[in-house]
Amino acid sequence: MDKILRINMSAAGGPTQSTEKAGEFAALGGRATTSTIVGNEVPPDCHPLSADNKLVIAPGMLSGTAAAISGRISVGCKSPLTGGIKESNAGGQAAQVLARLGYAAVIIEGIPEGDDLYKIHINKDRVEISVDNSNKLLDNYPLIEKLQKEYGDKVAYMSIGSAGERLMASASIACTDPELRPTRHCGRGGVGAVMGSKKIKVIILDDAGCKNRPPQDAERFKTANRAFVEGIRKHPVSGEGLPAYGTNVLTNVLNEAGGYPTNNFKTGQFEGGTKISGESLAELEISRGGKATHGCHRGCVIQCSGIYNDKDGKYLTKQPEYETVWSHGGHCGISDLDTIATLDYWDDNVGVDTIEMGVAIGVAMDGGLLEFGDGVGAINLLRDEVAKGTPLGRILGGGAGMTGKAFGVTRVPVVKNQALPAYDPRTVQGIGVTYATSTQGADHTAGYAVATNILKVGGDVDPLKPEGQIELSRNLQIATTAIDSTGLCLFIAFPILDQPETFQSMLDLLGGFYGIEMTGDDVAALGQKVLTLERKFNKDAGFGPEDDRLPSFFQTEKLPPHNLTFGVTDEELDQLYNWD
Amino acid sequence: MAEKQSLRVVAPLEQLSAFFLLLQQGVWLQAQIGCSVASLLTEQFNIEEKYIVERITTMFLDFKPIDDLETTYVKDGSTLALSSAMPGLVGTTMRRGSHLAAMRGEISYQNQQQVVSGAGRIKIKLFNMVMTELGARFLAHGVCLTNGELDTLLSEMDDSFWQSIEFASVDDQQVDYTSLVNRVRTGITDEEILLKVEFTS
Repeated sequence: MDKILRINMSAAGGPTQSTEKAGEFAALGGRATTSTIVGNEVPPDCHPLSADNKLVIAPGMLSGTAAAISGRISVGCKSPLTGGIKESNAGGQAAQVLARLGYAAVIIEGIPEGDDLYKIHINKDRVEISVDNSNKLLDNYPLIEKLQKEYGDKVAYMSIGSAGERLMASASIACTDPELRPTRHCGRGGVGAVMGSKKIKVIILDDAGCKNRPPQDAERFKTANRAFVEGIRKHPVSGEGLPAYGTNVLTNVLNEAGGYPTNNFKTGQFEGGTKISGESLAELEISRGGKATHGCHRGCVIQCSGIYNDKDGKYLTKQPEYETVWSHGGHCGISDLDTIATLDYWDDNVGVDTIEMGVAIGVAMDGGLLEFGDGVGAINLLRDEVAKGTPLGRILGGGAGMTGKAFGVTRVPVVKNQALPAYDPRTVQGIGVTYATSTQGADHTAGYAVATNILKVGGDVDPLKPEGQIELSRNLQIATTAIDSTGLCLFIAFPILDQPETFQSMLDLLGGFYGIEMTGDDVAALGQKVLTLERKFNKDAGFGPEDDRLPSFFQTEKLPPHNLTFGVTDEELDQLYNWD
Repeated sequence: MAEKQSLRVVAPLEQLSAFFLLLQQGVWLQAQIGCSVASLLTEQFNIEEKYIVERITTMFLDFKPIDDLETTYVKDGSTLALSSAMPGLVGTTMRRGSHLAAMRGEISYQNQQQVVSGAGRIKIKLFNMVMTELGARFLAHGVCLTNGELDTLLSEMDDSFWQSIEFASVDDQQVDYTSLVNRVRTGITDEEILLKVEFTS
């Protein structure tokens, strides 16, 4: 990854391209790369859909190597949903292919004049930017099917559906999986709308003739990779629970804990939870000839995804994630897996974030548009309104915050205008701290790297002291930011939490590849540096302490069954970034 | 008080999945209450301590995550949910003795009160790997279902289940599927029956 591709869509006479040396970014990746470039090059006060915003795409530090589970790709920009800095990452094949092509980043600048729609084809010999208006308003599934006739099935695609072209603030960028299905999405924050604003429909990544990136110390790297894989496979979460049931294995546990937000955050338990649990989902998938175990990219050894077939045994969608099952399920009072899977298909096809869209529909239900539990109505909203770009569809596609305003709803679960994920912060107070203070808006993955005890970021915390919640969230966010830069899937957090030798093998992977010695302190320092940069961008974009808050109903409405409110004070929240 | 009717079913182990939804929703079991969770699991349900330590790493008693099994006591009518290790920040937070336990704040099981000992019953919920590994054991122990719940269970079972079962009886009298359904549907909806399922490998 020794070069950066810069594409200027505003250039007179049509888009231009240039290649520059990667410099400091040659040994960076993922979120560290996207946030550094956005922080350095994008005016924080620009309109996210203007020519001043930039779309930055970066594979992780270990992408394109033989390292297991290293296929996360990051997309960064100023978010049209939050108005702050955004890094949104996904699995799929794109990271591996882009890294093998040698690019540390692709930076897309400007906006072309006129209404033409472009595609970008990148292979080892050239970059071709061309007009293809035949793709206009095609959604992701038919688009990829069409493109395969031209570019074949040995490439990776990054595309937007009609939601991205219509500049909806919940629009995603789809990345194809090994079967070339557009199922893995950089979902959060409206990155698809930024791609749409630049009139780019699809990026075709072709690494024919390219090889894996070679490590500096091949033997050390190989040994570390073997130990890393072994550690992932032997751990009960990454080696058993996730492969068997996927992330939706969490539904029963969250429901039992009373932390499963139901009917737009009115209660913490959903009566229909067991019907849509990961256990029930896996049984159904297997009984219909689908798969309960499937990788989102080649080289994944966890395989937490799956294939969901319809009643006739035909492919309907990939296995919906826990957050999707929740947003379209319990949040909307829907307990039918076929309905949820159909909504997941439409999310992927139209190209919208499943969390934002599900929460928006639930908020609209609270506003009286539909009854909670109306699965047919929910599908109609997505298929007939959002997918067709009707005024109602554009409101829903604008996200939960916009939907709440349109329907006069006071209980709108957003932070920095981004919808809360599937964990109620009144039950799990610590995650509320992360929702409130993350630079990204409400995001469960912003503080996900649970191995803070091993990373030793910020020292050890006494788990029995509630006041440790701020410190825990801070440490989690620092650690996660660093992991987000490696290209490794966040699910490695569980084996590295419990197995010190697996954590060491991760450091050895990085060290063996780059020929350096890495310690936990280095990982933590990287995370803190990136967070500082993101925080500065948001400050310059106009964010202040008042934006690091949960919606007030979390402090005033008690959540059954525990009947708790969110108890962390504003003063405590303001202590999170204690280093800037 | 009249003895409950007893439904005994002998089925091949591959049919365990027919009970997965029921096991997730929870089944009532007769037990000696007033003991610790550790005692309940090891002494009454014969689950090895090693298995509990290594596999049942997440537990909830009455919707509250448990950390110490020795000092947490079950009372009559309690609900005990058993799960293996979970992914995610919150999944990790819910683990027994998690170093992130502070993040769950007030919902952790605390403040033990004296509980009455004696015969009673508890609801057991089984999730994920624990469900597949312990489901047969709890079903063999015997679970209490109302006629209404049994009717729902029978309705959700497909034909292959009844074609594969080796034996079924109510109070030692052999029954077929049709007569069992008739018996359940003509019974009082809230009346309970003790279901015991023996799985053959």
